[in-house]
Amino acid sequence: MDLDFSADQRDFRDQVRTWLHDNKPRHERPRAAAGIREYDLAWQRTQFEGGWAGISWPTEYGGRGLSLIEQLIWFEEYGRAGLPSVDANFVGLNHAGPTLMTRARDDQKAQHLRQILAGEVVWCQGFSEPGAGSDLAALSTRAEIDGDDLVVSGQKIWTSFAHVADWQELLVRTSRTGSKHQGITWVICDMHTPGIEVRPIRTMDGEAEFCEVFYDDVRIPLANVVGEVDQGWSVAMSTLSFERGTAFTAGQVRLASTVEQLIELAKERTGPDGRRPAIADDELARRLATARAEVAALRAMTYVGISRSARTGTPGPEGSIVKLYYSEMVKHVARLAMDILGQDGLRYVSRWVPGGWSGNYLYSYSQTIGGGTSEVQRNIIGDRILGLPR
Amino acid sequence: MDLLPSADQLDLARVAADFLAEELPRDRIRQRADESSSLDPHAWAGCADLGLFGLSVPEELGGAGCGVEEEALLFRELGRQVAPGPFLSTVLAAQLAVAVGDGDLVASVVAGKTAVGLAALRPGGTFNEHRVRGDLDLIDAVDAPLVLLLGPAGAALVETAQLGDVQPVPSIDPGVRLAAASGVDAPVSAWLPAAVQPLYLRGLVLTAAMLVGIAEACRDASTEYAKTREQFGRPIGVNQAVKHKCADMAVQAELGMAQVYFAAVSVASGRDDAELQARTAKVVAAHAATVNAASNVQVHGGMGYTWENDAHLFVKRVEVLENVLGGRTEHLGQIIALPAPQ
Ligand SMILES: Cc1cc2nc3c(=O)[nH]c(=O)nc-3n(C[C@H](O)[C@H](O)[C@H](O)COP(=O)(O)OP(=O)(O)OC[C@H]3O[C@@H](n4cnc5c(N)ncnc54)[C@H](O)[C@@H]3O)c2cc1C
Repeated sequence: MDLDFSADQRDFRDQVRTWLHDNKPRHERPRAAAGIREYDLAWQRTQFEGGWAGISWPTEYGGRGLSLIEQLIWFEEYGRAGLPSVDANFVGLNHAGPTLMTRARDDQKAQHLRQILAGEVVWCQGFSEPGAGSDLAALSTRAEIDGDDLVVSGQKIWTSFAHVADWQELLVRTSRTGSKHQGITWVICDMHTPGIEVRPIRTMDGEAEFCEVFYDDVRIPLANVVGEVDQGWSVAMSTLSFERGTAFTAGQVRLASTVEQLIELAKERTGPDGRRPAIADDELARRLATARAEVAALRAMTYVGISRSARTGTPGPEGSIVKLYYSEMVKHVARLAMDILGQDGLRYVSRWVPGGWSGNYLYSYSQTIGGGTSEVQRNIIGDRILGLPR
Repeated sequence: MDLLPSADQLDLARVAADFLAEELPRDRIRQRADESSSLDPHAWAGCADLGLFGLSVPEELGGAGCGVEEEALLFRELGRQVAPGPFLSTVLAAQLAVAVGDGDLVASVVAGKTAVGLAALRPGGTFNEHRVRGDLDLIDAVDAPLVLLLGPAGAALVETAQLGDVQPVPSIDPGVRLAAASGVDAPVSAWLPAAVQPLYLRGLVLTAAMLVGIAEACRDASTEYAKTREQFGRPIGVNQAVKHKCADMAVQAELGMAQVYFAAVSVASGRDDAELQARTAKVVAAHAATVNAASNVQVHGGMGYTWENDAHLFVKRVEVLENVLGGRTEHLGQIIALPAPQ
């Protein structure tokens, strides 16, 4: 049980801090799709060129080849510097990349991994369908084998950043025999292939970050299949465990900074009695203190998760505990901000702008849905961690 | 950085857990409910033989030379067993005795010959390096020659004989004996300022560790029952109303455990934010134990409301520990006033 970072790791932290300070993006993130793509890719490229992309990715794929501890330090400093979330690069860095690393052929890795790190391409995740959300294995987007190709027809939905993506990790149904978990194939789809139509969906916070994607006889080379045809479910599950495992670390650190910002805000703003600062209100003060305690414990839980992964080598089902607690907490904190703002919360400010509490509040609703709903996480915890009967 | 216990630390916890399950089963609380003292002399002697009271007493004074981290693992097991007896105050008193150089007291505590009770001031009371004044609640101080007082400024030992008229009062927890001493004005026999050693923070970590043990025991009891109890022809655990309660209990237990580890290391290494981490551990662990204990009663249905089932033992001990060393409101007040965590 220790919290000590080695001298090398402390050095590493200093370097990260300095580099982030000197190189962080200086202008506001644009709102339009094309602008977002350029902004997010440019920032990723800057990190890559500075030698800071893929801290724990192997060097052969352009990463730094360091341990999860350095990765944690990077995320901590990144979150502390108040830098933008990876957004358009999320799927490439946190889903597709790690999945390709563990499950893909060498030529597939060689083609894609470095491009992801270098900020050359945007990836998206084509898992959910109108009829297959929580019940992902019910997916029905069809793929027939024709010569050296898969021919795909069907529809995906809620695909974040599909409108700006180059590649997609796509789940298709290649067989209808056997259980629904069989007959699914995980394939790399080029988003520029003829027959793909992307329609952005406007979200609750007015932005357009996810899309419907339609496939009409889209030809994807069989060579793009990762793992075996019909065996994609286990590949998909490794993707999801990465998502639930380490991908929330930066968000967790950002949440801790958000709580500290809120405490400052509550000291500056007049509280509900119209005279004293908000922090003098007993209820608000206690909720802020509770939030501070809970994010501290969330950090401890993240450290425990990383310590566990470092020992076992892979993220376990315990990631669902972190995901559940983190996403519920994001909502509590966003709600608390609105209660501190009072009437000022009626003014809409995008979450991409400093002080965008109202935008952030609306966005927070997505957190307990995306990446598997809180109810699904509870099922996973009950079934896989506690071993309860189904 | 590796926040998980080492193999040696886990071994130590396992030995303690096996011993407690064998020698201090939760049923012992029911068996001894009508005795004047909660302390089971046979089990207490066994704990001394195992070296539990000297776990973090230096080796040259007859202890095992471990630290707060190992103590936290031990107290988590004590919590899991809802162990009766003044373990917290006795172990902390040994630390105080080490710090002030009272070798006789150290030896006597380590050997299991002296137990030290816990004293909690009621509102209006005060204590410092010289005297304790006011009304006191005494926890498991029956037959204890000394009581320990803990506060942010320091820790004090007071002779029980100096407290005047001590009246037993009925306790909500059948594993804890309560007594009241009013109008106390007694000399302090030993004092350890927090600046020398923050015994109060250590006490918060150990209390939180016991609460985590309870939160985990409740999670385990409910999970087990949800797997075996059948209604409508199926185990009750297939129903999400039950399954999700168990899942939430797992989240709370994991959260509390992680924060107790973090706080234990923070206090042991004297991190700048040790106070914040220790108070946070108390708040988070108390919340985890409170909700888990309540859910555990509910998952057990009518059985959960009986004297025979352990569910009430958890509920009651949580109530005691929530109030020991300051409750939620007090800690939250400090947590918001302290500087941001490091
Ligand atoms: C912001 C955002 C971004 C997203 N990005 C992507 C993306 O890039 N790619 C992608 O593939 N998907 C994406 N998703 C989709 C997301 O994974 C799904 O929305 C999610 O898995 C839930 O599926 P659903 O929307 O069909 O809801 P449903 O599954 O229909 O669920 C509706 C409600 O029923 C509950 N429910 C369903 N089944 C159960 C059950 N067995 N037990 C208890 N309760 C249950 C759910 O918890 C929920 O409350 C995104 C979603 C959001 C909000």
